[in-house]
Amino acid sequence: MDLSRRGFLQAAVFTAAASGLTVACGGGSDSGGTKNGKNLTLWYWGGALSDKVVAEAKTHFKSQIKLTSSSIGGDFKQKLTTTLAAGGSSVPDITGIKGEDIASFLPNADRFLDLNDLGFKKISSQYLEWKTKLAQTEDGKQIGFPIDIGPTALFYRADQFEKAGLPSDPAKVAAEAKTWDDYFALGSELKKALPGTFLINNMGSVFSIAVGQGTTRFIDKDNHFIGDQDHIRAAWDHAIRAYTLGLDAKINDQSWNAAVGKSLTTEVGAAWHALDIESAAPATKGKWRVTATPGGPANQGGSYLTLPKQCRNPEEAFKIINWILSPDNNAKSFTDAAIFPASPETYAMPAMTGPDAFFGGQKIIEVFGPAAEAIPISYEAPADSAVMAPFMAELTSIEAKGKKPDDAWKDAVSQAKQIARRQGVN
Amino acid sequence: MLSYWRQYLAISPFYLVFLVFSFVPVFYSLYLSFQRYDGLGTKQFVGLQQFEFLWSDPVFWLSIRNTLLIWVLSTVPTLFGALVLATLLHSVRRFKGFYRIALYVPNVTSIVAVAIFFGAVFSNDFGLVNAILGTVGISPVPWLSNPWLIKVVIALLMTWMWTGYNMIIYLAGLQAIPQSVYEAAKMDGAGPIRTFFQITIPIMRPIILFTVVVSTINGLQSFSEPQVLFASNAANQNLGGPGQAGLTTLLYFYQSAFLDNDYGYGAAIVWAFFVLIIVLVVINWRIVQRGRKS
Repeated sequence: MDLSRRGFLQAAVFTAAASGLTVACGGGSDSGGTKNGKNLTLWYWGGALSDKVVAEAKTHFKSQIKLTSSSIGGDFKQKLTTTLAAGGSSVPDITGIKGEDIASFLPNADRFLDLNDLGFKKISSQYLEWKTKLAQTEDGKQIGFPIDIGPTALFYRADQFEKAGLPSDPAKVAAEAKTWDDYFALGSELKKALPGTFLINNMGSVFSIAVGQGTTRFIDKDNHFIGDQDHIRAAWDHAIRAYTLGLDAKINDQSWNAAVGKSLTTEVGAAWHALDIESAAPATKGKWRVTATPGGPANQGGSYLTLPKQCRNPEEAFKIINWILSPDNNAKSFTDAAIFPASPETYAMPAMTGPDAFFGGQKIIEVFGPAAEAIPISYEAPADSAVMAPFMAELTSIEAKGKKPDDAWKDAVSQAKQIARRQGVN
Repeated sequence: MLSYWRQYLAISPFYLVFLVFSFVPVFYSLYLSFQRYDGLGTKQFVGLQQFEFLWSDPVFWLSIRNTLLIWVLSTVPTLFGALVLATLLHSVRRFKGFYRIALYVPNVTSIVAVAIFFGAVFSNDFGLVNAILGTVGISPVPWLSNPWLIKVVIALLMTWMWTGYNMIIYLAGLQAIPQSVYEAAKMDGAGPIRTFFQITIPIMRPIILFTVVVSTINGLQSFSEPQVLFASNAANQNLGGPGQAGLTTLLYFYQSAFLDNDYGYGAAIVWAFFVLIIVLVVINWRIVQRGRKS
């Protein structure tokens, strides 16, 4: 236990160095209150923004701001949550948030700047109201600037419809498939004429779109669970109906890619499904058409840009996102990366009004444009997606195990209630 | 003790890293399991409420059942297959290195790549397995939607990944058995099968028990396999596939904490699961003790 002087000094130096290191690491908090930083960081994920438009933004603002963008892979929400919770200078000045995650960030709106203070109020009319509202707190604080949306439509194989002796023109199909029941009736005829084909890939897709067609979801504004009420039950029944009629392909794995366009003759989904279909079934080019969603339009996906409260230069950061997401640049983003804009003005621009060869020269914006504007304003609670999960899981139980639909409904509701309670919903 | 400070200094990086990145988070998660916390807002103390929820949560119990079934379905064939392969390889004279590498490669392959590969091979409608079955007139088998077959596919995937690893360990054990023991058995007139069961297995016992313990730890922590296998279903990707048949406990924990922002509940799940692993480890330990006494 003898400690030489030299040894003691060395140990002391080491300890001091170690504690210095700790201080240095811990001390990276917001330095001062000056909010005119020249270096801004932008976080998004691959495909959230057009890389071309982001690159143009960098040169456009070069004289005032050095914008550094990072494409964050993996679980984006998780990485953002961790970084926000840690705070400090690593928090991005501008960050994307996915549409399905925005509701869960609203209870922590104080972590973000109110875009209305920075001038969003003046330009908000350029963007779809229902989309803007979903990134707004109850007291009117706007945390998200809409990037894009995912208006739904009915994609169908026109040639198969013709072969089955059904109308194949988009306007006529829309008239024949006004409601879910009409659509399933059409599907039954299709199946009779073309055995071995299916109308929908799985029940979950019908259920989630049918829920999205309404103005209320699983939890109401007073934080009550309403997932056991008629509007959800109706959406559930639509899904079950497709199953009992044998129109459900029960696809819950990668085989969608192989099935679409072959055994799967229609697809109800957001605008971006067009790309998925195109890459999964390139041989069916020209045979597809698009028309209005049975039962009305809904939204699937679509994201926001936000400014965390640590943002080093809110004024300039807002100018940048306003520039990137201006109706004109949105047109460029659509051409470059098929990002469906949240600004209706863009729908009339040449970038979007052209005919689409995959859809036999149909001008698909004539379907998606009106759909985008007709999507209802709905309320999505922070715990909404968590509460919805058991319904989706139970639908797969019906498909996989042949569980009785009524039992599945009861289990889904009781599990959803429990999750709601866990999340502080009463 | 202080005179050994150089030694302590030399090993300190490990302990510092362990302290910061493992020890503190572990106990922080215990603290979290008594809170309600969404990851960003304020924590709210809720006492044992999360554990009460856990007790009455059918999905949690389903995930435990799934985990244990997948563990049994994968560990038994893995260890048995590894022992057989090691014995065969031990007696092989040519291409030894090739066989060893070939059998070990699955273990160093990325689990994500293997899971994607298995997903394609076992795909219900267009997979390789069903295509081969089709040529001999067997109708397609719903590998990725039947609740039992989902578990079989996940277990098969784990068997594929871990057989080679255990085989290498067994092979090392076999090589340590002196040749004279086998020669003595041969002199006494024992055939190869009898030698295997009465000479090889008893001598290998401690090594087998080691692999059982390691396989228990690995097998109960299955997460990536079901997560990647069913990731194509965007709306449902972390629910463990159709009917939640592939929902393992760690996947359920991940879903609760990181997707539903319910960090308190997620922490409660892993701590309850920790208790379960302790129980299984004690059972293992008892088996080891009994083996030593006899």
